[in-house]
Amino acid sequence: MAASVIQLLSQQVANKIAAGEVVDRPASVLKELVENAADAGATQIDVEIVAGGRKLISVTDNGKGMPRDDALLSIERHATSKIRDVDDIEKINTMGFRGEALAAISSVSRFGLKTCAAGEDHGTEVVITAGTIRDVRDIGFPQGSRVEVRDLFFNVPARRKFLRTHQTELSHARDAFLLLALANPGIGMRLTVDGRETYLLPGDSSLEDRLRDLFGPTYRNNLVPVDRELESIRVQGYISLPTVNRSDRKEQFVFINRRPATAAILGYAIREGYHSLLENGRHPSVFLYVTMDPGLVDVNVHPTKKEVRFRKPGDIRDLVIASIQDGLKAGSSAGSPRGFSGDRANVAPAAPAPVDRQLTIEHLPVTRSFRYPKIPLAQTPPLSAEDRAGKSTTTDPVTHAAPTDESSGHEAPWSWCRVLGQIGGLYVILETEDGMVIMDPHAAHERVLYDRFMRQVTDGAIVSQGLLVPQTVELQPADADKVRGNLDVLQSMGFGISEFGGEAFVVDALPACFSSANAEPMLLDMVESMERGGKDGARADAYKKAMATAACKAAVKANDHLTLEEIEQLVVDLAQTELPYTCPHGRPTLILSSYRELGRKFGRE
Amino acid sequence: MKFKIEKAAFLEALQVVQGVVSIRSTLPILSNVLVQAQKSQLLLTTTDLDVSVRCSVKASVQKIGATTLPVRRLLGIVRELPEGEIDVEVDDKNLASITSGASYFKINGIGDDEFPPLPKLTGGFSYSIDQGAFKEMLRKTAYAVSTDETRHVLNGVHLSFKEDKLTMVATDGRRLALVEHEVEFPETAERDLILPTKAVNELQHVLQDEGVLKIHALDSQAAVEFNDVLLVSKLIDGSYPNFKQVVPSSCDERVTVEREGLLMALRRVALLTTDKSSSVKLTFGKNQIEITAITPDVGEARETLPIKYSGKEITVAFNPEYVMDPLRNMDNDEIYFELTDELSPGVIKCDIPFLYVLMPMRVS
Repeated sequence: MAASVIQLLSQQVANKIAAGEVVDRPASVLKELVENAADAGATQIDVEIVAGGRKLISVTDNGKGMPRDDALLSIERHATSKIRDVDDIEKINTMGFRGEALAAISSVSRFGLKTCAAGEDHGTEVVITAGTIRDVRDIGFPQGSRVEVRDLFFNVPARRKFLRTHQTELSHARDAFLLLALANPGIGMRLTVDGRETYLLPGDSSLEDRLRDLFGPTYRNNLVPVDRELESIRVQGYISLPTVNRSDRKEQFVFINRRPATAAILGYAIREGYHSLLENGRHPSVFLYVTMDPGLVDVNVHPTKKEVRFRKPGDIRDLVIASIQDGLKAGSSAGSPRGFSGDRANVAPAAPAPVDRQLTIEHLPVTRSFRYPKIPLAQTPPLSAEDRAGKSTTTDPVTHAAPTDESSGHEAPWSWCRVLGQIGGLYVILETEDGMVIMDPHAAHERVLYDRFMRQVTDGAIVSQGLLVPQTVELQPADADKVRGNLDVLQSMGFGISEFGGEAFVVDALPACFSSANAEPMLLDMVESMERGGKDGARADAYKKAMATAACKAAVKANDHLTLEEIEQLVVDLAQTELPYTCPHGRPTLILSSYRELGRKFGRE
Repeated sequence: MKFKIEKAAFLEALQVVQGVVSIRSTLPILSNVLVQAQKSQLLLTTTDLDVSVRCSVKASVQKIGATTLPVRRLLGIVRELPEGEIDVEVDDKNLASITSGASYFKINGIGDDEFPPLPKLTGGFSYSIDQGAFKEMLRKTAYAVSTDETRHVLNGVHLSFKEDKLTMVATDGRRLALVEHEVEFPETAERDLILPTKAVNELQHVLQDEGVLKIHALDSQAAVEFNDVLLVSKLIDGSYPNFKQVVPSSCDERVTVEREGLLMALRRVALLTTDKSSSVKLTFGKNQIEITAITPDVGEARETLPIKYSGKEITVAFNPEYVMDPLRNMDNDEIYFELTDELSPGVIKCDIPFLYVLMPMRVS
């Protein structure tokens, strides 16, 4: 008689398997433990990380603590104080509820729990190694709990191998901390990394205070509040003005009933809320807090509860879109900071009121304006900007100039041209031998600067201009890491930058082609695009290109004021670049309406 | 409202006030000049809400009153009218009739009650200074003002009334211009303010070389009064960087250079640079400065200038514009160039209390 092939797994093996789902890296341990502390009603939570969380993650809270029996039970699988029966799953108000976390964590680490419940005269310490209880004893301990997780995955080599460098794990852990700190502005929190205090966040904060503590005092200036309610769903929080955007989605935080959440529908709603206000590939920062009946959202989709499902996804989507648009409208009418893309936001609704100019051209030739009697115009055939851009690129020589990419074979787009004027407060109209050209001066300027800068980079002739007063730049920990890792690249770009301890850097020279007096935004743009370049394969060349792109953007923003002569010079310079038809990001710089096209539209052909 | 005025006087006054009017104002009233006819004078006022200018001019007023008229249109008309007296009459619908000899115009105005009132100027401190001296101080500093809006405190000229003198400073973070002038005021009136670029530009246009100028400084506004003109400007809010730490306390070498010669040489050499961010190299060697610019694909330029110098050889790269800016705005025949090495700031001085610090460029 053969032994039965299928056997019930031991508790320990089962826990280890479960651990794979709940705990995949130090950051998820941090998350589970802090959530437990928050659920225990703590008003102060201290987190400590050593060596990216591989050596130690400890979370200390002043919550209600546990008596001895509960402490022992808490590390059993599916043991929880947070729900009692099946119906409770439908209306979860706590962060956790599955009762898996401690069991899972303690099975893959050297685990220590110290706790003392209110009213008890002594606390309890439980020591567990790889899921086996080694010691239980009475200790003196203040009310609350402290969980120490040492040597995570020491008994799971497979998992350990997949841990990344300390730096990477640390940055994930920090992101997790940030998320929790945003979710719980009322709780005082502290993060200590390798003995150094990284964040000290006072309790009882409003969201505004918490944002200031996390992101610095000026960050709030770029945010507008949103608050909108529909039936029993309420969306509150802050969103960034379109002028302030990032190349990644790292600063998009959505909390459903205080729980950090992602759902495809939310990402879509945010994009839609900023529709057309942001360039492709730029993302806003949002901090949205959705409060709704717990019965309307299913958080039990995934063990880490990251993804949620809604009972009425359409309502949520519409509400988020509406609240973002509300916020932006209110923000822009309240005199938003001047900026390139921000002003475009004001222009977008095609108001009959005078357009807010995005670019000033002084001393344009005088143009005559006419007043027509009001005749209802026939609707012109819909011809979107993309269509036109598409048409112009196909009719333009760019198609045969671009793929060959021979500077010798490249033709200037025109042999003569005349600047006629400006429309929409931005675009410049030119007359050339082929027809009428609409030029986006910002995009054109970007192309010109980009070419010039690239030439300097390839020639190795970078010039940097010293600053009278070295500027100290204090960065967010994550950004600081990126800058620190790329110091030599930045230096080769002309930044006179060196470390100044902590997350601070001192900049005593800037690349000479930037007229900006402020190093910080430039550095941030640089590291963002460096990171992107890194993902694309990290070839040194790709690096430089990415940086040049960011660099030019910084340069362009500084030049919102052009004279006619400068525009004419720009046109000449643009004609000499290798790819005059698009800006370094691929947006068109020029749209040509040829005389033939015009003739056809006016019915002359 | 009805008055009679000499063309020349009217034109001059209109030219003083028209500068602040924005060409692309979205509020129609801001394109207009407020005309107030008082007993024996006319008050003309314009504003862009940040800077306001008022000019008074003598006129024989037959009927007092006030209105606002489009300033560019009015200026155009007055400029083209023949010499002589101009009669202006405005009815209660703000329609102005302008008559001079055989010419007759009617232009539409807007009621004066829509015009933004000048800010009230009470409290604060007053300072008196020679108008020509003040104008000269602006000339010696204004070019160094930053145009980068991300650091708004640098978008203006810093005026510091301290220790019985006025110190005027402008910087864009790469170079700094500083000039001092003795002014009398009580110790209690010591204070700092930042006058925005727009006001500085206006003042440079309308200031004259003689007469007394009065500055009246309030918390967020400053008024400058001279001749028949009153200019009121918002001040830039914020604290100006500590410029004293920028001025090097010592230098290794001090060179006397002929100003005009250096300026001319730089202008010629700079012809071989391609854009605003290019550098020129200055080599201070035995009894001469060699100035060079090398631009790949374009060419190179070299120029030598005799000086009296026996110190160590120093080669330092500067943005040529940054060296030429102060030279253009000085009148001294000789200047002093102070240097230490290729990474330390250079300083330009002269016989008057003027100082210019500029950072070198680093060429890889």
